[in-house]
Order: sequence, then C-alpha cells, then structure tokens
Amino acid sequence: MVPDPESDALHLRARAFVRAFEAGATMPEAFDRLACDLARFQAARVPGYAKLCRARSVDVGALARAGDAPAVPTEAFKMTRIATFPEDAAHVVFRTSGTTVGARGLHALRDAGTYDAAALAFGRWALMKGWKRPVPVLVLGPSPREAPDSSLTHMNALFVNELGEPAGERETYFLQEEILDVVALDERVVRAMTAGDAPVLLLATSFALVHLLDALDGAPFRLPTGSRVMQTGGFKGRSREIDGETLRRDVATALQVETREIVGEYGMTELGSQFYEATIASDDAAPWVYVEPPWARVVPVDPVTLAPVADGKIGLARIEDLTNVDSAFAVLAADRVRRVPGGFELLGRAPGAPPRGCSIAIDEILGR
Amino acid sequence: MSAAPRTAEGRARDVREILRAARSLAARADRIVPEITKSTGLSPEGVHLALREHLELEATDDDISALVARAGDATRVHVVLSSSVFVGAVRALAIARAAAPHVTLRPSTRDPWFARALVEELGSSAVQVEDVRARDLAAGEIHVYGRDATIAAIRAEARRGVRVVGHGAGMGVAWVAADDDLAEAAEAVARDVVPFDQRGCLSPRLALVEGDDARAVAFAAALDLRLAAWEARVPRGVVGGDEVAERVRWLETMAIAGVVLAGPAHAVAVAAHGSPLTLAPVGRNMHIAPIAMANAAAQLAPLASAIVAVGANDSAVAARIGPPHARVSRLGHMQRPRLDGPVDRRDR
Repeated sequence: MVPDPESDALHLRARAFVRAFEAGATMPEAFDRLACDLARFQAARVPGYAKLCRARSVDVGALARAGDAPAVPTEAFKMTRIATFPEDAAHVVFRTSGTTVGARGLHALRDAGTYDAAALAFGRWALMKGWKRPVPVLVLGPSPREAPDSSLTHMNALFVNELGEPAGERETYFLQEEILDVVALDERVVRAMTAGDAPVLLLATSFALVHLLDALDGAPFRLPTGSRVMQTGGFKGRSREIDGETLRRDVATALQVETREIVGEYGMTELGSQFYEATIASDDAAPWVYVEPPWARVVPVDPVTLAPVADGKIGLARIEDLTNVDSAFAVLAADRVRRVPGGFELLGRAPGAPPRGCSIAIDEILGR
Repeated sequence: MSAAPRTAEGRARDVREILRAARSLAARADRIVPEITKSTGLSPEGVHLALREHLELEATDDDISALVARAGDATRVHVVLSSSVFVGAVRALAIARAAAPHVTLRPSTRDPWFARALVEELGSSAVQVEDVRARDLAAGEIHVYGRDATIAAIRAEARRGVRVVGHGAGMGVAWVAADDDLAEAAEAVARDVVPFDQRGCLSPRLALVEGDDARAVAFAAALDLRLAAWEARVPRGVVGGDEVAERVRWLETMAIAGVVLAGPAHAVAVAAHGSPLTLAPVGRNMHIAPIAMANAAAQLAPLASAIVAVGANDSAVAARIGPPHARVSRLGHMQRPRLDGPVDRRDR
C-alpha cells in the first residue's frame, strides 16, 4: 500500500470507532468532527466534490456539521472517479453491477483494512451473537475468484475466512456462473449435520434464495438447528420477484429456520459500511428495521431540497459513512428510507418521475 | 354484402380529412389553448408553439402515399394513446384511418382533451372515442402509444389474431459536427428542446459535440443562452415534483462529473470526454458530451433501443452514428417529422 499520511491518519480515526464498538467503549470522538475532516480532505483531493461544494455554496473549511456537507449521488460513481488517490494506488476496486447505459459504478479503496474491520465488527454483531466458535459459512453467491470486483463477494469472503470454519471453495460458494449448485450445498449441509448438527450461517442474495426455492420446488431442505441466514439485495431481474414477507416466510419454511434468524443486510458498492436488521443481536428488535453502526448514519432527505425529513417521513437515503475515507463520506442513494424507533426502514428504490408524453423515462432505459 | 375494398386514394382521402379537422381546430387556437394548457401542463405559449409549428396540418401527396403504404390493412384499428404529446393524436389517427375503415380511440387519461376534440371535429362515424378493452377486440389491430410496460400488458391481453403495434417511448440525440457554427447549432437544438417541454419521443435529451471538452463547454454556454432566451418567449410549463427531484439528482451528479449551467427553467451539463453517455431528465435539460466521430456509434450503441430521432446538419453523418431505425433530420427540425408514417420506426 502506498503511504499517504493524511489519509492514513483519517483511516486510523475511523478504525478507532470500530475498535471502540467492539470493546463496548465510548466512541473516540464526535461523529461530526471526523465527518467534517473527511469532507475537507475529500474536497481537497476530489475535484468533483470540491465543485459540488462550491455549487452548493458550502465552505468546507468552516464546516461544523456532517449534515451540511453535500452528498455524492451514487450515479456520480458511474460518471467519474470519486477517489482521493491516483489510480495506481488502489488496493481494491469494487464495481457495481448496474446497467446505466453500459456504465458500471466504481469504488476504489486505497486501504481496504478499514472496510474489512468495519464489516467484520458489525457483521459479527448482527449475525454471530451467541456463537463462540467459527461455524460453517455457506454462500449462495460467487467466489472472489469469479467476481473479484464485487463488494458483496468481498464481504462474503471476509466472513467465510474470518468467521467461518475452514473449507474449500467448492464447499463454500454455491453459485457458479449464475447456476446454483444445490447438490454441493446439500453435501455441505449434510456434513455439518453429521458433525454434531452445528449451525451454519448462510449468506445469500434475494434472487439466489428464489433460485433455491425454485430448485427445491416445495421440498424441505432443513439447515442444522439454530442456523441463520443473511439476506441481501434485490432481484435485479435475475429471478422472479417475491415480496419480502413472502420470501422470508418461504425461506424460513424451506430451510426450517426461525424468521428472526433471517437477517436483512443493506449495503452498496459505494459504501464501506453495511446495515442490518437486529433481530439476532437484540431480542427486542423489530423485523424490517435496519440499524447503523456508530460510524455511519442513514438520514432520509427530501429528494428536491435534500434537507432531512422528519422522523417517520419517507425520504431518499443520505448515508454518512466514516469508513469512506478515500471516496465520499456522504453518499446519496436512490433508495427510499424512513426513520422509525430503533433504526430505519428500507422502502425500495425511488421510482422515477411518472411519464408525461412519450419521452423515455430514465428508469425505463435502465430497465432495458 | 361485403364492403368494397378501400383504395389507396380512398385511404389518402381519409387521412386528409383528419388533417382538415386538425386545421380547423388549430384555426380556433385562442379558444382551445386554455383547455390544452390545462390538460397538458404546458404554458399557453408552449401550446401556441405546438399548434403553430408542430401540429401536422399539411402533408405532401408523396408523404401521404408513404403513410398509406406503411399503414397496412386492417378491418379495424383501436388506438390507445397512453402517453404521447398532444399533437401526436393527429398522426396516430391518420395511420389508423389509413389502415382501417373503422377506428376507435382511447385518449390518454392524463391528457385527453385534444384527441377528443379532434375526433369531434372530424365528425365521422368511422372514428369514435371508445374505451375498448384489448381482450374484447375480436379482430383487427391495436396501436398502442405508450411505455414498454403498457405495450406489453396490452399485447398479453389481446386475443390471438389481433395484431398489437407498439409505438414506445423514446428520445432524440442531437449531433453538433466539427464544422457547425456553435451559436447556430445551439439555437437549432433549443428549437428542438423547447416544444412540449422535451416530453416528446423526438425531443433531444443528449447532444454530442464533435471535438474536445472546451468545444462542448462552449456549445453548452451557447445553448444555455438560447434556452434562457426561449424561456422568455415560451415559458416552460408545469413541472411535477418527481421531475424536479430527478433534475436535482442529475444536477448534483453532473456538478461532480462535469460542468453545469442552469437557469430557473432549464439546465445544460457537460460530461468530460470519455464519460458514459446518459440522458438529461425532461423539462428543458440537456446532457452534452464531447465526442469523436469515430467513437460516436459505439458510444451510442447502449442507448440505441431508446433512440427514435437523430438530429444533425449532415444527414449522412446522422445515419452513420444513429441506429438504422432512427428518424434523421436537420438540427432545429427534429420535432417536425414528415407525415409519412409512424414517428417511431422501431420494430415493436
């Protein structure tokens, strides 16, 4: 990794949040303090972000509240490079699977250590409560070899390597070239059961779960007692679509796991942090309510004014993420969210403007 | 006793009757503009502009012959105007009437006024406003002017033997060549953007400027001026909250990825050389990309299925960069296609 003292110091401060969380300690500094320093750093290094600040008449030098710094729309990651460092200093480059007229969004990390530390700490909190030793981690997704630029695959591999029992690639990743290998999955589950019925952690995209249900065609596929499922993402046209409640109920029935043991994860290529339902971590947590780690905030904002909306009102997700040291600490997602007690609800992608006339809608072109 | 077959001359006569009805409506512009303004959300000046310059009132014999030849032959046609600009009713009815002796039309629920008025003005029992469900049509054709999803839904519902012809949503692309005068090109492109507040499928949402970033920015500056001047003469109409939100997001993105010049009722944004091509939201906004001729077709390829029209001062160039189905016209004339058949020439 190419040293960069200014960036390195900010990474250390971000990781201090993660360490404090893991230790159950007080956060090392105010969220806004680090956020504003990140905004200044990014405005100095990312010309596009400096332009956005100028266009919004934001003086980053005088910034005191994270919420006053403009957020970078996710589309900008498709249009230009959002990074504080030269291309040859990238340690990892994640790309979106997006379809924006052939363009994929790109999120380059100079130092993946902060991403990894944060993902592991919050993933452990959300998924591993009560498990004292590694468990088999099974992935209904591609291996890092097959999808080296997917941030989700990177995170899955982290969980496999750091939280899971050692296992080979074929015994871990069950989606190859979009084909679900149910036989290999079955073999691994049987092995886990015969080895003392130890629970497994199944990491899966929503469309992979639909493929699994379709492959099972109603037949039960019991996971070992106490197993858990992390479910992420939408369908992206890669399977039939099922509403969230139905999918969760069908998965719980087919795999014979408790619905509270199926946990939704919300993340995106443009972010270093992830968000989870807390139904495993906390007995009191309501389902469908996502929780942020202390190093990230999800703020629903009005899509026109970009100002925060009141709690309980729906807005676009403005995500402030202290682990996004070398890109954009504030990202404007295209997803609608609503603050509720305990966290936020995820309400799906904001629909485009309803069509008037025959000019094509942006959403329609994306769907082609 | 079966009816005598319709001749090409007879069909052409029926098409001319529709143009006559359109002329008759347009002649009463002062009386109909308030209704159309209310129905479409365009400004009164925008409606006047559309009636004056973009409503098909005349066509050459050759164009009508071409339209009749392209229209085909059907026992009846049901026209579904789900989403189109208001003047589109004329062409839709002309094509349907050329094809069939009996035409029914379901106007858009959002913008029904002009289509209804046109049918009333026509005063022909052969053309009626009627809400026919696709599954109730036993034979003939359904011409659907709408979104992909609407066309697909009607196609799924239609009975076997009923042909569904889709005229989908689309967009235009403007090409500013290396030897075009930028000020003249900007005025011409503004002339293509302003009608219908860019809600037509021929409306350019993307302008490709042959040359480097600086030339694209110079064109953007010229277009910014021209759109501001047009706004003074033909104010933009009502823009919905969702459209404003789309515009805000696009402007935030382009502020990062390029250069933005925005007025209260228009915006132009220039992406840097090599950036992915995208399109501006409707409502008098333009995405401008510097480009080399050698790369133009390849860069446009991902958008090809959405492109209905290409505007360029050299038609040979337009044909080279655009998809084969695209209508080609000079800059400034993109919203005035000949009445020689459907605007949308994609195979749907």
